[in-house]
Amino acid sequence: MTGAIPTIALVGNPNAGKSSLFNALTGARQKIANYPGVTVERKAGHASFADGRPISLIDLPGSYSLTPASPDEAVTRDVILGRQDGEKRPDALVVVLDAANLDNHLCFALELIALGLPTVVALNMLDLATRDGLTLDPERLSKELGVPVVPTVAVRKRGLAELLAALDGAIRTQPARTEAGAAGKAAPSDTSLHQRARAIARAATLAETPVRRWTQRVDAVVLHPVAGFLILLALMFVMFQAVYAWAGPPADLLEGAVGVMQQWVIAAIPENFLRDLVVEGLLAGVGAVVVFLPQILILFLFILLLEASGYMTRAAFLMDGLMAKVGLSGRGFIPLLSSFACAVPGIMATRAIPDAKDRLTTILIAPLMTCSARLPVYALIIAAFIPDRGVGGTNIGLQGLVLFGLYLSGIVGALLVAFALRRTVAKGDAAGFMMEMPRYQMPQWRDLLLGLWQRAWIFLRRAGTIIAMTTVILWLLLSFPKAPIGESQVEYSVAGRIASGLEVIVKPIGFNHDIALALIPAMAAREVAVSAMATANAIDADGDEDAMAQSLGERLQGKWSIATALAFLAWFVFAPQCISTIAITRRETNGWKWPMFMVGYLFLLAYAAAGITYWTAVAFGLG
Amino acid sequence: MTALLDKAPLGVAVRIARIDWNAMTDDEGRRLREFGLMEGVEVTPLHRGSIFSRDPLALAVGRMRVIIRARQAAMIAVEAAEAERQSA
Ligand SMILES: Nc1nc2c(ncn2[C@@H]2O[C@H](COP(=O)(O)OP(=O)(O)OP(=O)(O)O)[C@@H](O)[C@H]2O)c(=O)[nH]1
Ligand SMILES: [Mg+2]
Repeated sequence: MTGAIPTIALVGNPNAGKSSLFNALTGARQKIANYPGVTVERKAGHASFADGRPISLIDLPGSYSLTPASPDEAVTRDVILGRQDGEKRPDALVVVLDAANLDNHLCFALELIALGLPTVVALNMLDLATRDGLTLDPERLSKELGVPVVPTVAVRKRGLAELLAALDGAIRTQPARTEAGAAGKAAPSDTSLHQRARAIARAATLAETPVRRWTQRVDAVVLHPVAGFLILLALMFVMFQAVYAWAGPPADLLEGAVGVMQQWVIAAIPENFLRDLVVEGLLAGVGAVVVFLPQILILFLFILLLEASGYMTRAAFLMDGLMAKVGLSGRGFIPLLSSFACAVPGIMATRAIPDAKDRLTTILIAPLMTCSARLPVYALIIAAFIPDRGVGGTNIGLQGLVLFGLYLSGIVGALLVAFALRRTVAKGDAAGFMMEMPRYQMPQWRDLLLGLWQRAWIFLRRAGTIIAMTTVILWLLLSFPKAPIGESQVEYSVAGRIASGLEVIVKPIGFNHDIALALIPAMAAREVAVSAMATANAIDADGDEDAMAQSLGERLQGKWSIATALAFLAWFVFAPQCISTIAITRRETNGWKWPMFMVGYLFLLAYAAAGITYWTAVAFGLG
Repeated sequence: MTALLDKAPLGVAVRIARIDWNAMTDDEGRRLREFGLMEGVEVTPLHRGSIFSRDPLALAVGRMRVIIRARQAAMIAVEAAEAERQSA
């Protein structure tokens, strides 16, 4: 070593536990989930040997070999072979194996060991191997492979010190052999390599009792053509009911807290510019968004549970038939489901899709999946216009049902758009679908809580930065110039006049001045639609005690027709109101062409959907 | 007696007799082999299709579960597995 900090890459098959190990060693919080293709880019972190010498660790996307099938796997190859621009080649490798799947994982391991870099094998998921009735002999495995083998259980942080010690030793004692074009020489698609892998696995397996049957029994139900699909629907349905049923009390608490803070500021600061800014802009605006935190967390809890349990690939299996009909594959269902949280990670996750056209289509329809930023908008309008009662005398909430319907419209819209795109701009062969199905796992409570905490933090940070900023700017634009007595401040202000201009365009689809005002700032982040309306209403209500006491929903109820509210919801199902999504699409498609296309088609769809909804509702007398 | 994996009954282990590598793309073939699907290997078809179509097919390959499409399964010829043959 030249004294520089050694760089060590974690590499292995998908879902072997590389990111879990990376997090355990570096204290990082990379996303971990129980399906292949979670990590899609290179991530670096710091750790240190027992004596305190620092090392740099790299977490990589899982791969089956150094011959990539999808963009994420190409990253792994490039990093390992030192082809990544501006990155030096790793000094050593930690090959992460799933102990319960040695037959298969040893193939890639053999290919990696043949590269000649100092290598240590982490025999991970030893607990699962034991659960499945396997007894392994790490020493024998080490002898067969010619490199140290360290048993680990990443999720319980077991074997970490031993792994680091072995790594230290390997860097010292295994000089990097010059590889005579070793890469690709022993590709895991070779029959002979597979035979060797199987022989080694057999030699290292001391005892093997038949696989536990319960996972098979679960799959017999969950993957049953009819029952399985009903279960999938039921899961989604329960998820949206829960968003309403469970969020009430904590949301009321937050709303109360915002009100108390407003009263407190009003009492503490004399009437002036600053007080209005805080009360009308920050507290009313940002507060109106923050009260939706409980609902967002409930949604995330469900998504995290689905991801951690291993259900995600089962859902992909069930949806493949439908996805195939529109020219996609079940693989694409996973990024789409992730887009329920946010389209940005969803679009990133498409890197695990092998077929380029399949991937492009999935990127283009990802914004149609209802992301959590839309939840505040939906929730506000639903709470204001849809009665809070059971459907037909049952306990099933009507509000949750409408929310479920909005999510479904997004999905159906996405599938129809995919169908059209695959026949026009993203034409290509039918996409394939080949995927490994992981075992079921009990979700780790620590990971779940950590995931929830991360999401809460991201949401609050958004509220405190981009949402607060846009809202304050909007408040300024709404407060000046000062309207003469008797005229509406909101309509008289700069923002109000701009909105009046826009209102001409959106009037045909039933939008009013309130909505026109919210549309432009909501480009920054969808939630701003809510904070913008809250701020505008707070300014309008200035000094009017009765109006101040009303919630935003109650005030909208008084001003909007149901047809307008429904049109507004329909607009938000489709409208591309999110700058980050546009930016990530530009990055992932290498250019402006596709993001522009996406924005264009989504606005058209949004306009049409809102219009059709409005006209239909008016025809039914809801205008 | 060989049959195509595409039509093989669920829950019965079979041995892969032949794979028509020429009928598929290089990438497809490679991924199949990376999943351990190659001549001589025993697999068990476990689940087939959803309410939408007969696709896809979930297989047990050793301790691994993999999903492939019927189109690929139709390029894989299988015969009765060792154990089945003896009991027959
Ligand atoms: N029981 C058990 N589960 C583990 C262990 N290590 C990881 N897991 C679980 O295995 C799943 C996959 O872990 P990840 O760390 O995301 O795997 P990865 O190798 O980074 O996967 P990709 O990024 O998709 O290649 C998660 O559900 C983890 O909780 C382990 O030692 N024991
Ligand atoms: Mg990972």
